[in-house]
Amino acid sequence: MSQKVKSLTYIAKSLKETNISKVTLTILPILAIIPVFIQCAHGLHIGGISTLISFIFSGLHPSFDKDVVQSSWIGLQITFCFAIISWVISISMGLFLAIFSSYSLTRIIGIPEYITTIIRRILTLPRATHELIWGLLFLQIFGMAPWIAILAIAIPYSALMARVFAEQIDKIDLKSLIALKHIGASKIQVLTTAFIPKLIPIIGNYGSYRFECAIRGATLLGVFGLGGIGTEMQLSILSLKFNEMWTSLWILFFAILLLEKALEYLQKPKFYFRNVGKFSLMCLLVLLILLGTSLIWLNVLGVNLFVPFTIHLFSIPSSTNLLSAITSLPWLKLILETVLLMLLASGIAIGLPPILLMLSQARYRAKALSIFWIFCRLIPTPLTTMLLLLCTNPSISVGALALGIQNMGVLGRLLKQNIDNQDTNIFTGIKATGANSHLAWLYGKMSLQSNSYLTYSLYRTDVILRETIVVGAVGGVGLGWQLKESLSSFAWEEVLLITATFMSITLIGETLSEKLQRRLLNKQGNNAFHT
Amino acid sequence: MSKLIEVKNVSLESLTSIRVKDINISINTGDHIALIGKSGSGKTTLLNIINGSLRPTTGEVILNGKDIRNCSDNKRRKIGSLWQDLRLIEELTVGQNINCGALGRHSVGWAIANLFGVIEYQECIKCLNAVGLSNSLVNMNIEKLSSGQRKRVAIARLLRQESDLIVADEPFSNLDPTLITIILKILLREQMNQSLNSAQSCIVSLHRPELIDKFNRVIGLKDGRIVVDSDSLGVSKGEISNLYC
Repeated sequence: MSQKVKSLTYIAKSLKETNISKVTLTILPILAIIPVFIQCAHGLHIGGISTLISFIFSGLHPSFDKDVVQSSWIGLQITFCFAIISWVISISMGLFLAIFSSYSLTRIIGIPEYITTIIRRILTLPRATHELIWGLLFLQIFGMAPWIAILAIAIPYSALMARVFAEQIDKIDLKSLIALKHIGASKIQVLTTAFIPKLIPIIGNYGSYRFECAIRGATLLGVFGLGGIGTEMQLSILSLKFNEMWTSLWILFFAILLLEKALEYLQKPKFYFRNVGKFSLMCLLVLLILLGTSLIWLNVLGVNLFVPFTIHLFSIPSSTNLLSAITSLPWLKLILETVLLMLLASGIAIGLPPILLMLSQARYRAKALSIFWIFCRLIPTPLTTMLLLLCTNPSISVGALALGIQNMGVLGRLLKQNIDNQDTNIFTGIKATGANSHLAWLYGKMSLQSNSYLTYSLYRTDVILRETIVVGAVGGVGLGWQLKESLSSFAWEEVLLITATFMSITLIGETLSEKLQRRLLNKQGNNAFHT
Repeated sequence: MSKLIEVKNVSLESLTSIRVKDINISINTGDHIALIGKSGSGKTTLLNIINGSLRPTTGEVILNGKDIRNCSDNKRRKIGSLWQDLRLIEELTVGQNINCGALGRHSVGWAIANLFGVIEYQECIKCLNAVGLSNSLVNMNIEKLSSGQRKRVAIARLLRQESDLIVADEPFSNLDPTLITIILKILLREQMNQSLNSAQSCIVSLHRPELIDKFNRVIGLKDGRIVVDSDSLGVSKGEISNLYC
């Protein structure tokens, strides 16, 4: 017995002392795919596989029926208009809130630090609540109205942008601002001359990234009946008309591809550095024009944003009802399912991109992989879940696979972008030693990105946790499923408790992930992953 | 000669060390002061106290009869600083950075207009030419310049500031002899364009004792205290070597 304990202690000690390289840590999470596949295979129905294969092959011959193409095209326009309006609102509100939640800025303006801290704390609540929860809540309160989709995206996104903008602002080196103060510049002059030029690239980079997220958000809300291309896809999949769904998917794919290219061009530094003032003014004008055009265009498409609505207020649940909800729901099971869903999905999303990139170094394979990642990001997770449910039983693994696939698309694209932008000297050096291209890639490219990739992956884990509510609602697991059930039965006390529990889990997850990110960032210095 | 600044009984102590102790200096119009001493002797600390960016634990720095920390932004602009790290705004062009020197004399509207393109172009060009840079650089981004060019842009910004005193922290580090001569001439107002209203006085920290005869006054610091304060011609080699041992 003592011999056993001794050897176990030795193994534990060895593991503790082993300095597992960061590259290994980026790949190890892929092990999550083993239990996921085992569980999916366990519930597999053979008939469903042929349906799934038929879905995949439908991609090669989408429907070109005039009505289908037209309704997909209109759906895309509605989704883009929703995304643009909510995005412009989020940027404006995010910027406004960032001014009051950035410690550097409030110090310059003269606002006490404790007020900044309070604002930051308050903003965690709308941020921790997924847009779908906001959407479903508003649907219950106000009934069906097109502006619900916009508001549901704008609320969490404003808080999220405020957080990111404030963090980036706090990282700005204040020395040049102090120098201007010594020259005799007033506070407003310092802000306009030294601060705005540093702020614009931050808004440009992160804001444009958020635009694609807003499109995904608007598509997702469409799946839940709020209109746009998401609704079109949902209707096609429910009637198993895969070629019609592919019409929408291809239209969305080309639109996103065009958008990515346009944003890439606009983000080129030469465009910005030519004239900071004119560039800032141009950005402002573009935002206003986009907002105005989208509002008018929605009207042209027959979507009236300003429809009259009635408020279906729900009474505040009594303490007896709350107590009964606490005792009636299987809280531990729901929480554990949600956390497990997050862990498995994160494993797939983090571990697969480095492996796939390592295996796809040839140019045509790399191109195919980039296209594959766009599709991963495009198909809303509830639809992927539904597709998977065609051939296997509902389980945590189905949700994890759907969630993992979408987030793999996001992480894969970012990892590729960063690897493409880095110096190739080390890679060439390792290759010159005779190493094969896969190993040279792993040591000469991935190893340089591993620390920052892990840091960003931790941030992505927060997002995945937030999104468990979406797949849970469709896949029949965790708090998401229970929330959907409680909303359908108007059990407001349960809705209140589930939302509060979900927010608490998200905030705990966010705090843990921030701590880990800080540890990684301290070790890596300034080599931050570009988001 | 009128008194520009008076440093009275200034000390700055941290929990672990004394950075400067019992400093008393008067800087008058026309003073060109070389501040020398080995690394860690307190040169940068003293310069930062003079320009008001560090608050001494005891004593005061008097500018126009008032403690510098209580002076308005407009009065403080009479002291121009050439920082060791230059503190230029990387996102702006050379011309826009030079114009930043004039912010203290202009409105917010002027500051915003400067973001859209170099305004008061001729004034800006005068400063640019005074530091030996050509007009073609005016619309170039700071990040594209060499370190020597960046230093000259920072000096051009100082000229645009029209200060009475220049406080320069090691302006000659990492520069070739030609550039050292150009910058020295600007700081000492030799061959200066008469239309430029540049400072008549300066205090410059140096790591090159061979340059001190270009200045008319030398202040030597050792372990945070002034051990030499005299006419540059009156400083012996022994006194200088004592500062570095």
